[in-house]
Amino acid sequence: MNLRALKTVFFKEVLENARDKRTVMSSIVMGALFGPILMVIIMNTTIKMQQDKAEQKLEVPVINQAGAAHLMDFLSAQDVTLQELKGSPEEAIKNKDHDVVLAIADDFAEDFSQGRPAKVMLYHDGSAKGAAKVSVNRLRSLLNAYDRSIGTQRLQLRGISPNLTNVVMIEQHDQATKESRGAMLLTVLPYFLIMGLFMGSMYLAIDTTAGEKERKSLEPLFLNPVKRDTVLAGKLAATVAFGLLTLVLTLVAFKLTLPWYPFEKLGMRFNMGMQVMMIMLLVLAPLALLAGAIQTIIAAFAQSYREAQTYVGLVLIVPMIPSMLLMFMPIKEQLWMMAVPILGQNLVINELMRGDIVGWDAIGLVIAGTLIMGLALAWIAVKLYNREKMLFTD
Amino acid sequence: MISVENISKSFGEVTAVDNVSLQAPDGKITALLGANGAGKTTSMRMIYALIKPEGGQVLVDGINTHEDPVAARARMGVLPDARGLYKRLTARENIVYFGRLQGMKEAKIKERCEELVDRLGMGAFIDRKTEGFSQGQRVKVAIARALIHDPQNILLDEPTNGLDVMSTRAIRRFLKEQRSLGKCILFSSHVMQEVSAVCDEITIIDGGRIVASGSEDQLRDKTGSENLEDAFVSLVGGEKVV
Repeated sequence: MNLRALKTVFFKEVLENARDKRTVMSSIVMGALFGPILMVIIMNTTIKMQQDKAEQKLEVPVINQAGAAHLMDFLSAQDVTLQELKGSPEEAIKNKDHDVVLAIADDFAEDFSQGRPAKVMLYHDGSAKGAAKVSVNRLRSLLNAYDRSIGTQRLQLRGISPNLTNVVMIEQHDQATKESRGAMLLTVLPYFLIMGLFMGSMYLAIDTTAGEKERKSLEPLFLNPVKRDTVLAGKLAATVAFGLLTLVLTLVAFKLTLPWYPFEKLGMRFNMGMQVMMIMLLVLAPLALLAGAIQTIIAAFAQSYREAQTYVGLVLIVPMIPSMLLMFMPIKEQLWMMAVPILGQNLVINELMRGDIVGWDAIGLVIAGTLIMGLALAWIAVKLYNREKMLFTD
Repeated sequence: MISVENISKSFGEVTAVDNVSLQAPDGKITALLGANGAGKTTSMRMIYALIKPEGGQVLVDGINTHEDPVAARARMGVLPDARGLYKRLTARENIVYFGRLQGMKEAKIKERCEELVDRLGMGAFIDRKTEGFSQGQRVKVAIARALIHDPQNILLDEPTNGLDVMSTRAIRRFLKEQRSLGKCILFSSHVMQEVSAVCDEITIIDGGRIVASGSEDQLRDKTGSENLEDAFVSLVGGEKVV
């Protein structure tokens, strides 16, 4: 292969696209900053809302307060503000006017005095998210505490040890480490890194192929005494370089935004030292080749710039699949999974964030698997333009 | 010197070019004259080795373009039908890019670039980005980048298409200069006045086939016509009812 020609094509594409503000904005700003900043905002707002609910005075609308005066005194003593409810409890929950509504059954007082289980009803939305759950849980634990204290008193009055009713004592041993708690919230990190990389190379993949064809400069370019493979290899190298650049910037952006994550408030620790970042870069870098090659192949088949944008844009869904999968299903890692591009990167990064030591065999397998696949696709991308049909839009 | 022997090309059921042969000698301007859709562009694309002919061969200074396309292209300078420039690069950067792909030395590229700026009158816009260039400016840059390596054989597909009088004249003058330097120039056109004004040899193509070739005088004598336009119409089988 004519190395000088390859370099000429590479530097021309880099120069030309660096002058294109749109490419720079989309690859650097969108690709590299979007993920880290979005995560900081989402995590901070979620934590803040939950904290506010937990610290706020609990306000509970109660139906038939008179039916359980003793319980009401207990709740008030626990700093709960009791309210009258206008309208039905179902409506109040449905309209999100209240997180939780307490209703006292009509025969509560009678059952209570007879020593029968006295009924209260809790109205809430079990599918509600985050902060609403906090109110429900707080009220439920207050009711449990009341239940226990009255029960204990009743047994003591009859001269029976309350301990007889405590059959099993549960002692919890949570094996989550501070790092692994952080990892749960950060399962989206590999997705943002991979996404940034795909976005970084996207515009070049389109511009150097479909764009060049549409602007009618591909034909004159191929009339130079350089093999088409060489020209395409130069273009692909420029595409991959932009993907890599975005990847590095995304990593740096994450590192720089790290102080803004509410890790301490969550009792978590997150490890992203130089060594971890280097390993991330190492396993993600071969993915830039794969991304650039896939995007180039797809763009080559498009008849226009816009068409290429649509198809290549759809490819952004691909890196989402393993990330989503891992987010919702706990998968037991097997060594072979490391060889699957994107899935392997997700697994390694998740392990790194949990603070686990990742073996060099796994890292090697991720790099090798992705690199082989990337090279195969790059070969196809480079050979594609030997077909006459690919040369013209008409 | 370009010699084309019996090349053909079909796309699906349609035969675009059928058994075309022609000679373009050094020191002459040879025209491939034909109506729109007569097979000019397809023939040119086969001659400059962008697409493969089905049978037949093309020799450029004795090099078979399909056995050694890279060597053949080094001996050709082509202004194809597609003449898009890189609009985020300056005119000079566009030209230098092609010089490098031709494998030229940097000093030589610079020297040759200055020469072409001079000859084509590009001084006013050579260091501007090509976005927003007029049609005439674009064609001049496209010609300059195609000829940066000073090739022996110059091929142009409808070079003056869409140009104003001044640009057309500048390009004609440039081609005549190149002819006097002993270059082989082959250009396709559908404009009679153009061919009449600059060409020594004319090959007429119609429906993908060569119907006649010779000098303008020879073609007029053969058909007993007063001018090239009448000769052309008579040779392609009269005015078809559209």
